[in-house]
Amino acid sequence: MKVKIRQWNGVASWLWVANDENCGICRMPFNGCCPDCKVPGDDCPLVWGQCSHCFHMHCILKWLNSQQVQQQCPMCRQEWKFKE
Amino acid sequence: MEDIGMEADSAEMSGSAQQGVADAWGAVTAALMSPGGSVTEQSLSDSLALLCGQGLGRLLGGWLLETLQMRLSSSVVPEFWAGLKQPENEMEERGRAWVLLTAFRTLLGRLEPFLGGLERLGAWQDEGRGSLCGPGPGGLQERAFTIIRALLLFSPSPVLQERVLEFYSRTFSVYMNQEGRAEDGAEAPDGPERGVCPGCGVPTQQCWCKEALEQLQELSHILSKLQLLEWVSCEAVTSILHKLIEQRMEQHCRGEYERSFLLEFQEWLELVLGWLSKVFASEADREGLVPAPSAPSAPRAPSIPAGQPGSSVLKQWRCHMHQFFCRIYVNMRIEELFSIIRDFPESKAAIEDLKFCLERTNQRQQLLTSLKSAFESRLLHPGVHTSDILTVYISAIKALRELDPSMVILQVACQPIRKYLRTREDTVRQIVAGLTGDAEGCTDLASELSRGDPVTLEMQDSDEEGNDPEDWTPDPTDAVPDKMGSKRRSSDIISLLVSIYGSKDIFIDEYRAVLADRLLHQLNYNTAREIRNVELLKLRFGESHMHYCEVMLKDMADSRRINTNIREEESRLSEEEQPPLSLSSIILSSEFWPPLKEEKLELPPLVCQAMEAYTHRYEKLKAMRTLSWKPHLGSVTLDLELEDRTLTNLTVSPIHAAIILHFQEKSTWTLEELSVKLGAPKELVHRKLALWQQHGVLREEAGGRYYVVETGSSKEKLERGVMLIDSDEERDSNTTTQSEQREEKLQLFWAYIQAMLTNLDSMTLDRIHSMLRMFVATGPVVTEMDVNELEAFLQRKVREHQLMVSAGVYRLPKAN
Repeated sequence: MKVKIRQWNGVASWLWVANDENCGICRMPFNGCCPDCKVPGDDCPLVWGQCSHCFHMHCILKWLNSQQVQQQCPMCRQEWKFKE
Repeated sequence: MEDIGMEADSAEMSGSAQQGVADAWGAVTAALMSPGGSVTEQSLSDSLALLCGQGLGRLLGGWLLETLQMRLSSSVVPEFWAGLKQPENEMEERGRAWVLLTAFRTLLGRLEPFLGGLERLGAWQDEGRGSLCGPGPGGLQERAFTIIRALLLFSPSPVLQERVLEFYSRTFSVYMNQEGRAEDGAEAPDGPERGVCPGCGVPTQQCWCKEALEQLQELSHILSKLQLLEWVSCEAVTSILHKLIEQRMEQHCRGEYERSFLLEFQEWLELVLGWLSKVFASEADREGLVPAPSAPSAPRAPSIPAGQPGSSVLKQWRCHMHQFFCRIYVNMRIEELFSIIRDFPESKAAIEDLKFCLERTNQRQQLLTSLKSAFESRLLHPGVHTSDILTVYISAIKALRELDPSMVILQVACQPIRKYLRTREDTVRQIVAGLTGDAEGCTDLASELSRGDPVTLEMQDSDEEGNDPEDWTPDPTDAVPDKMGSKRRSSDIISLLVSIYGSKDIFIDEYRAVLADRLLHQLNYNTAREIRNVELLKLRFGESHMHYCEVMLKDMADSRRINTNIREEESRLSEEEQPPLSLSSIILSSEFWPPLKEEKLELPPLVCQAMEAYTHRYEKLKAMRTLSWKPHLGSVTLDLELEDRTLTNLTVSPIHAAIILHFQEKSTWTLEELSVKLGAPKELVHRKLALWQQHGVLREEAGGRYYVVETGSSKEKLERGVMLIDSDEERDSNTTTQSEQREEKLQLFWAYIQAMLTNLDSMTLDRIHSMLRMFVATGPVVTEMDVNELEAFLQRKVREHQLMVSAGVYRLPKAN
């Protein structure tokens, strides 16, 4: 017997390669989106800091904008720098 | 009494005057008893004057009545009844009619002298000859008629009613036959038969139709002369009308819902009215002739309706008949209402008729009771499929909102349906299937959904917006007093269905599950229909509720793009680097899809490699993102080449494909081996093997070993197998069921409940419920859960010894 597979339609779910489940700012799952967004993934991406913490991009930008003096990671209070 | 008084009076008089008075008395009484007798007018008036002079005038009336009474009771009444009963049931109908008429003729003949006397007495009185009628209320004539009625009908024998009824029925059919010949021949069932007159029901040569009508006229005349018409005929006429309307309705309307009968019956009733006018004709004539204010001495008593102009008698009868008709019609339709509802769009005419008649009779309560019990006995039992109940419910909504625009009937009568549907497990699924147009034979909902001008299901809190107070109408009296009020009593089918559960979230969750199923079963990423449905549902349920579904649809579009992308990349590879397996994928945003069933499945290395390669490419495409495969989901299209045959284009689930791929390596497997290899439980593997057995590809032999059947499987087996796939496997849902999801939600509360009980030691059920309501602010979940459900949950916890209950108070068990 010979089996010839013409087409295999699989199902997968995507997920962020992050070290946590939820965004430390909005507490929403990374695989979902930040409270301001409707659609996850490309439209509501994650960003990583050099301290290796990551957040929804919209969340951390909002946070950084609200910091007057120094821009710190809300988790570890190190200076926030985007990881290249 | 008055006789004695008279004698006493006359005894006191002097001898000569006595003689004169006696003569005068004799003359006057003779004149009264036989009008137009030998006594001249002049001597009569002299005698009268003499009597009056003696103060005897007042006694004349009394005497006349007394005599009338004596005569009646001694001879006239017995004679009448004897005459009526005389033939001992051996005569034909015609003869009986004759006897009836003769009896009344004789009666009239006997009473005529008295009537004449009365008239004369009345005339004298009018001329102002003093009061002749004696004391007492009411006119003399009226009293005389009262006496006649009283004595004649004091103990009426049933034979009179029978005869009258028979006679009237006959004349009715004769009349209707003559008048309605053009209309229809169905009046007398044996009408068209040869040689039988359809009117009087005897052979044509003996037809007495004409005679009957003449007799009818004479009888009416006599009766009205004796003022007996009302008393003798009304009952008979009423029962005839009742019977005939009923009969006609049975023949014409029962089971016939697609035609309106109102006009038809209106015309027919007009015909019947023609007959009635014959029955009451002389009444009308008489009243027409006698000028109304002519006789002040005989004031008409208001208690006799016959004292009104004749046309008003007919008018009254017309009203009566109409009332009869409405009542009978409503009765019949109420009986049939369930069938009418079931046939609804076709039975619109019947509903409209019923509405018209129902407004004229007071039978709403009856209708409600009957319809409710019809629903309960015919619909709401385990033998009826949920989708059928829904279909009838939808028809009922449509039909009853026609019938009663205030929606009260709908609301009250359908309460049992709603209550019952709540107990059915698959109600939500059926409704959602209906909405998406998946349900067989139930397209109402889908078309309702796509109807323009939808009613949004958002419950507004502000009641008084933009509503003119002038437009307000009170609820009908049978409305259920509840908070909803008339404003909220919607007639919108979808909102009614959705509100069965009091919450739309259940429906949206269910729809999400259905949508997920549909999308996962789809091979071509074609979502046009789903997009349309989601858009329509958005109009109903509001944008925010359908958000998850939109993301799901977007996932499909994204997946297609990613697949194309990866395909292109692959095509740029060289020959030998081409992947051995053409793999495409649906990539889900896990947070937005309903929870999918988790099943363990180890795919063959070939497939795993392909998936890894795919993941790799995905990771390149979308930085920092990876894929988590759900190996048991999806579909596989494959060809099977066996020694003597080829099966092409089979579409199976991944586990089927995995199984058959393993058989490619090795042609014999035991169930255990396969189960280990696939990492799936044995019973699942066993079930899945069945598909290949149906296809005739695999065969089970003793010892639980499965072999590939390389040659010689019969053709028909093959075809049968193909048919069976759909029914067997494909309908497996990929999403977890409603109850499983619910269970999870309840489990979420358990943590809260434990915390509460730790702090507060003990709490009642209501308290727990309200606390949860207050503190667990995760959206609609708590409000959906009613106390009963919570109680069931807590009871289970008690059984599992995680909770203690005593006297309605829950507490945590003491830790040892």
